[in-house]
Amino acid sequence: MKRLIVTLIIVGVCAGLTGILTVGEAGEVDWARSTLWNPYPQQMVETSKYKKAPPYTMAYCNASLSNAWAVVGVQTIKYVVHQNKDKIKDFLFTDAMDKPDKQIADMEDLMTKKVDFIVIRAITEAALDPIVTRAHAQGIPVVCFSRKVKSDNFVSFVAASNYTMGRAMAIWLAQYLKGKGNIVVLAGVAGAGSAEERWIGIQEALSLYPGIKVLQKEYTQYSISKGKTVMQAMIQSFGKKIDGVLSVGGSEALGAIEALQEAGMKVPITGEPFNGFMKRVQQHGFPALAVDFSPAMAGECVSLGLQVLQGISVPHYYQGKRFLIATHDTPDIKSDIAWKDATFPDRPDTFVFGYGLPPVEWLK
Amino acid sequence: MVRTRIFFEKHGIYVFLFLIVLFSSLVSPAFLRPQNIVNILNPAAALGMVAIGQTFVILTGGGGLDLSVASVMATVAVIAAAHTGGQDSQLLPAAAICLFFGILIGLINGLLITKLRVPPIMATLGMMIILLGGRFLYTKGIAEGSYPPILRFLGTGFVGPIPTSVLSLAIMVVIATVVLKKTVFGRQVYATGANINTAILSGYNTDLILVMIYMISGLMASIAGLYIAGWIGVADNWVGQGYEVDSIAAVVMGGTSFEGGRGGVLGTMAGVLILVTIYNLVLLLHLPVQTQYMVKGAVIIIAASFYVRRGTR
Repeated sequence: MKRLIVTLIIVGVCAGLTGILTVGEAGEVDWARSTLWNPYPQQMVETSKYKKAPPYTMAYCNASLSNAWAVVGVQTIKYVVHQNKDKIKDFLFTDAMDKPDKQIADMEDLMTKKVDFIVIRAITEAALDPIVTRAHAQGIPVVCFSRKVKSDNFVSFVAASNYTMGRAMAIWLAQYLKGKGNIVVLAGVAGAGSAEERWIGIQEALSLYPGIKVLQKEYTQYSISKGKTVMQAMIQSFGKKIDGVLSVGGSEALGAIEALQEAGMKVPITGEPFNGFMKRVQQHGFPALAVDFSPAMAGECVSLGLQVLQGISVPHYYQGKRFLIATHDTPDIKSDIAWKDATFPDRPDTFVFGYGLPPVEWLK
Repeated sequence: MVRTRIFFEKHGIYVFLFLIVLFSSLVSPAFLRPQNIVNILNPAAALGMVAIGQTFVILTGGGGLDLSVASVMATVAVIAAAHTGGQDSQLLPAAAICLFFGILIGLINGLLITKLRVPPIMATLGMMIILLGGRFLYTKGIAEGSYPPILRFLGTGFVGPIPTSVLSLAIMVVIATVVLKKTVFGRQVYATGANINTAILSGYNTDLILVMIYMISGLMASIAGLYIAGWIGVADNWVGQGYEVDSIAAVVMGGTSFEGGRGGVLGTMAGVLILVTIYNLVLLLHLPVQTQYMVKGAVIIIAASFYVRRGTR
């Protein structure tokens, strides 16, 4: 009996903790800015076959919550769902903890529950392709967020180009250094599409600046502590030879700034609008560029899904809106927003800036 | 010959550590720079603290290990940031809450293992996941707050020429060694690990010993969480990520047997130093990431083989 009671208490605690965070903008998707970076004719998907009357059941099949960006993405989706509660009666959320087999099982579960619309952030392109293809064949509209699947069997892919991001970072740093200097690269997660695509973009852009030499490139796992550890080792290896730091992510840029500050070095650095990074750049006067890869795109997936269910055509490839935020403009990279306007002194270090994110409401 | 063999069987891990440090200093001029040593030792101190607790757990045998330590570290880090708000005056109460939290998690782990007979790997794995969920519930995904100057001093400061964190670790190592080698409780830990049935027949309350062991592991993980938070200086949900595996590797490399009843904290510290040295060296040598992983894995296997030789002869 005692054993049963203890077991029930533990199960109860677990069940309570899994009922995480329900939050939830409506409606209209403004994709004017997103078309700016599409070099091809905008391919629209006809969606009348998905048209149905509300209320809807929608689901977010998430890869994992392994970093702050992913967490903010989930919060944004929930916020937008909440703003559309008149149309969305049920919201189902699954988290695969970066395990492809679990995400496949999650998708099967959601399909069994006959949800009206699925947003998926696929762990890998190949492993999730068959199940997404099956959902597509069954008539369930699927929107891929941030990471797509191998085939084109989805209604829309919402992301922002990692290649563009890498090029923007490399061009800004090279131009800030007037085309001459030694840089180190903090490169995200080895093998991850976001990191490798940004690195390809960086290499393409750096090929235009032969005076810029990459001293060392290290993967930093989008981790603050790994960013600090790696930057410390790079400082020991190269010291004052380092003229600039090209970090493809915001977390490691924050760790790197901690290491640079401790070593008394102030060099130009790139990253994402990760609030701790933004605050320290402002506080210590580092020259910096932050390129937006906004988790607010997650909310646009919901808005896009609602348009699909109303039978309105949507873009097959939806490039999320993007801002460049720089402390110093260079000939080709101009800041879209003043640094201070994308920095939130009263928000936590791990808060991620994103257009469309209401800085107060989204946490409720 | 026999003496040499016995020497290596007893002290092989320290010889291996010496060789790794010697090799590192020869192949990388930056390795022995004072600042590089400090860079290695600050995060190593936190790993060492976790590994002390892990040593106690693994010493008890029976598949004992604690996978919840990294999650305890991260949870403590977010609690400390939220409760101190960067104010030194709030550190003591916040630290008390953090330490109590670590001990409480250890208590629950211990009760699950001894009363419900849940295998340690499952109990602590489950706890790791529960804490992850609880942390996201508590922080709503974004850790709030900041760390007070005293905590930053513990993580990055110096007492004379010695990093504060290293000095703290040294004190903890001495205490843990005394507890294990000179106290009745320590003898009970070794006896439980060597043969739990014999320990029960000898009148030891092995359930109580196991519960206390997991409480010590939880306490050490919470202390390590505070130090690593002070080192990073940023409130983050993922502080200490990977320390569960690294701490287990350090303990086993250091000669503590998974079968229990054999090993100790000093060997574990050698294991910690080997791990952090090799992690630093692959960066200083600018090895490609693929090679980095292979070198790290190979070093762990080679170091562990020193222990296996010792244990089987």
